[in-house]
Amino acid sequence: MNDSPSSTGRSDAWSDASPEQGMNRRSFLRATAALASGLAAIAALSPLRELESFSSVEEFLQKHYKEMTPEEMAKVLERIEREVERQYGLRPHVRDYKPMNGVEYVYCLNLTRCIGCRKCVHACVAENNQSRNPEIQYIRVLKMPNGTFDTEKADHNYAPELVPGKGFYYMPVQCHQCKNPPCVKVCPVKATWQEADGITVIDYNWCIGCRYCEAACPYWARRFNFTKPSIPKDKINPDMSYLGNRPRQQGVMEKCHFCIQRTRVGRYPACVEVCPTGSRKFGNILDPNSEVSDILQNKRVFILKEEVGTLPRFFYYFDI
Amino acid sequence: MNANTKTAAVLIALTSLFLALATAFNRDLWGRPAPLPSIPLVDPAFTNPAPVRVSAAELKRTGGDTSELECNLCHELNKPANLKLDDKGNVILPKEHADLVMHHGRNDRNNSCFNCHNPQNREELLTKDGHKLKIEESTRLCASCHGPTYRDWELGVHGRISGYWNRALGPFTRLDCVSCHHPHSPIFAPLPPAPGPHPLHPVVVHSVTQQASP
Amino acid sequence: MTGLVRDYCVFLRRCLALAFVGDWRYYLWVGTLTVFCLLGLNAYAKQFVHGLVVTGMTDQVSWGVYIANFTFFVGVAAAAVMLVIPVYIYKNEELHELVIFGELLAVAAILMCLAFVTVDLGRPDRFWHLIPGIGKFNFPGSMLSWDVIVLNGYLLLNLYLCTYLLFCRYRKQMPSKWLYLPIVFVGILWAVSIHTVTAFLYVGLGGRPFWNSSIVGPRFLASAFTAGPALIILAMQVIRRVTATAPAGKAAWQREGATAPWGVIRRAATLADLDLLARHLPELASVSAQVRQESLAGAMVLEVAAGDALLRQGEKDTDAFFVLQGQVVVKREEGGLTRITRGLGPGEVFGEISALAGTPRTATAIAEEPTRVLRLPAESLRKLMRNHQMSRIIRSRMTERLMITDRGLLTLRSIVQVSMLINVFLLLNEVFKEFYTGNLHVAASEYLYFGLHGHRALVPWIWTATGCNLVAMVLLVLPLSRSLRLLNVACVLAIVGIWIEKGMGLVVPGFIPTPLGEIVEYSPTLNETLVCFGIWAFGLLCYTILLRMAVPILQGKISKANEPGRKPQDSDAQLRALLKS
Repeated sequence: MNDSPSSTGRSDAWSDASPEQGMNRRSFLRATAALASGLAAIAALSPLRELESFSSVEEFLQKHYKEMTPEEMAKVLERIEREVERQYGLRPHVRDYKPMNGVEYVYCLNLTRCIGCRKCVHACVAENNQSRNPEIQYIRVLKMPNGTFDTEKADHNYAPELVPGKGFYYMPVQCHQCKNPPCVKVCPVKATWQEADGITVIDYNWCIGCRYCEAACPYWARRFNFTKPSIPKDKINPDMSYLGNRPRQQGVMEKCHFCIQRTRVGRYPACVEVCPTGSRKFGNILDPNSEVSDILQNKRVFILKEEVGTLPRFFYYFDI
Repeated sequence: MNANTKTAAVLIALTSLFLALATAFNRDLWGRPAPLPSIPLVDPAFTNPAPVRVSAAELKRTGGDTSELECNLCHELNKPANLKLDDKGNVILPKEHADLVMHHGRNDRNNSCFNCHNPQNREELLTKDGHKLKIEESTRLCASCHGPTYRDWELGVHGRISGYWNRALGPFTRLDCVSCHHPHSPIFAPLPPAPGPHPLHPVVVHSVTQQASP
Repeated sequence: MTGLVRDYCVFLRRCLALAFVGDWRYYLWVGTLTVFCLLGLNAYAKQFVHGLVVTGMTDQVSWGVYIANFTFFVGVAAAAVMLVIPVYIYKNEELHELVIFGELLAVAAILMCLAFVTVDLGRPDRFWHLIPGIGKFNFPGSMLSWDVIVLNGYLLLNLYLCTYLLFCRYRKQMPSKWLYLPIVFVGILWAVSIHTVTAFLYVGLGGRPFWNSSIVGPRFLASAFTAGPALIILAMQVIRRVTATAPAGKAAWQREGATAPWGVIRRAATLADLDLLARHLPELASVSAQVRQESLAGAMVLEVAAGDALLRQGEKDTDAFFVLQGQVVVKREEGGLTRITRGLGPGEVFGEISALAGTPRTATAIAEEPTRVLRLPAESLRKLMRNHQMSRIIRSRMTERLMITDRGLLTLRSIVQVSMLINVFLLLNEVFKEFYTGNLHVAASEYLYFGLHGHRALVPWIWTATGCNLVAMVLLVLPLSRSLRLLNVACVLAIVGIWIEKGMGLVVPGFIPTPLGEIVEYSPTLNETLVCFGIWAFGLLCYTILLRMAVPILQGKISKANEPGRKPQDSDAQLRALLKS
């Protein structure tokens, strides 16, 4: 702030210049520096060259699931089918399955029978078009030593030759579709909510990827797409649902949704279908004749982390 | 150097720095994401919902090889049995059936062949109260001893059910007992587990954890 | 009305022009910051393309250094209010200028917070989903929605306050109380709320026992009110040093004049002199003739040559001076450096603080050119100030100086001192609660302080932070830290300690172990670090530019009075001339 050119009384080549010349030189240099910084700024954005079609205008402007009319939804489904076809080479059916009336889903898991084979994990991955690399798996099987429920003692990475191991029990964990879901409470944009049949769903086109729900979940059930998911083309399951197993994008959350594309047409989820020991039980709790009703009435069921008050719809029990 | 020169020098230095930076950005010299380590695709056996055994009923239904179930090829009907027992009272398997593993019940209490098989017609099963059952009807035989389990099985609580939870919308399938349990050693056999989870970033392996534990 | 709009546009344009004017130190500083900003921008572009896999975050530790920095800087922004309270509630005059600097720091800090949150989002292109009315806003359910409201509101509040106060000074007008005091008081409450809401983001998660504790909110506030004012103490000294004139070459006005400060000519003042003054000070016209006559008792007119000192810093006389003709510059020495606090022209007053408050002279006033001044005894000044308009204009001029006094800094020191004591006390509470019971919830704290199952990444960090905080606390308590050098050391230690503790020491252990007992450690990648540096540089750049605009206005160098004629666009030369004056 005190660079008046001629007040110092010293003389050298620079200060011999008249004040106006000094000003001009400085203005010129300043403009050059500013221009160079502008160039550097544009160059800084050069990685964006690698951006493939990130999001179309329609996708950007797409409304929240609950605000869409059926016609708008039909257009969106059609667009998704086109996008999947372009990306994976096969045309899927993407439908918006609505909840059935008089249905509330409940899941029961028999800890006596689970042997920890992890077939449920991979059946889920295949059914729900999850990314293989980076790996996204909705189900995590914990190998627990007998005598404790402290998950700190769990082993997530067991890889023996055969399971079950002696002295351990195996506890698979996935989204419990809680009645009092903390993830729904914390989502700032209501991208996740609970439907009438008890399933907590995510609108993948609405999620902003803040990961607050992931921090809130007491069961570590939610997964984030840290990069573009990769699914082998020949492994795509073309039977898709909007709120369920259609391929997700980079930067959004996903989680177990009780195989919405199966359960809402009356079928069992993939994990139930594949379990070799029949440890997994699924059904409508409002139906007194369902197997889950019998379990909840007659078996010794418990829930994980009851003290957190989430009221999960996922019950563990022992048979023997 | 007076202030004017310093300003000029700084501005020139900044200009060159910006231009160098622009070049460096263009060349993409750092910060590329590390390529993800390859994760092999899971063996299709791990997504196969087929039960661990094929029951007799299933064999007969699908027209598979039922030669193991044709006992009367060797055994005569109505010929009395000649079971040999060892000093503990356990049956000694004849050499023709030496490949069988008899392990039914705690302390092998149920290893006697004729607890289940009809001694007059070995292709038939016989309950203790005298009901004769075909070999593909073995579930009722199991039920005759394992009451509570059968009760649960009927409700769909024991053993796997597949198909439609909503019975009104479609069929469902219950498995026979022997689709999961070998009748001679019914304890569910251990299976090889599918691979465990792979981390997103390479993880530094510590001595205490991150080791595969049996 | 249109005049107001026009004035505002000119004001903004001149402010903007100021941002590009400076000496070589300014260009070097701004240039370096821009380099880091660009590095950060480039790193973020990579993240935008490839996704958050370029960071060190995982599903297990899903928030990292971005949210850690966000949390820390919300605290800094909230701490600006710690300056506002003493000034507006306790009427501490020493901190008056610091309020604007604190609010500008709040603006810069909030911009950094918004930047950190944006770079953390997986889909920042979907930001419009957050806009109430257009998107779907989960208010009041989600604490994040509260945070969006309070942060943006706080930004607008502080921007409004700074702009309004600076614009008033630009127009040399007294700010209207009703247009800013209510906002100030709202701002105080709002500042506490931004940090409490941010704390509630964590506290409200029942599944994370490390965070689900009622002490988190108070600890946030205590650490914010330690680190924030500590940052302000450091920033103020930098501002003071940078706006000081180093004793380089000597212009005419810098040469000390003759020791006898009473000039060449003096005579008793007359009504004619008051009329002359009234031409430049219109408020004087509203004073009745009788009062004007009375005020002439003991009044003198002095004529001095360029370089003569009219009053000197530290002296104990109590006359007030009005400039009748010429130019006077007021300079103040502090911390070994001399600074020009303002330049004065006809109609302006100086020396009035000593006249009204009886305190020793706070600065030295030297004539820049041959100057004629009217010297009034304190009693005369008071008589004149019984007139409402005169009182208003003189009081507004009183606040028109740019003094960052050591006493002001020491007031800030006491704030930092008390807050740090509370912060450490709350830490002890937390440590007891975690470790005394020995229940399972202690896992995260155990990981943080001692390592868990062989994982020890954060242990050296947290002990460094604790050490820094304790040493800072001890230093602050000792009277030794009244010396600025030790105070600065304590401030740096406090800032570093609190940054680690509140950032990595709060966010990361909440995720380790996961709710399912898994331990996956976290460390930021190069890209993540570059983005952080970029945002820090961006914040510093914002603050620098805001100060670059505010300081000359506060000093009175850029005002409506010296707007360049027809074309309301100062040329570079004109601006530099104004700043030099």
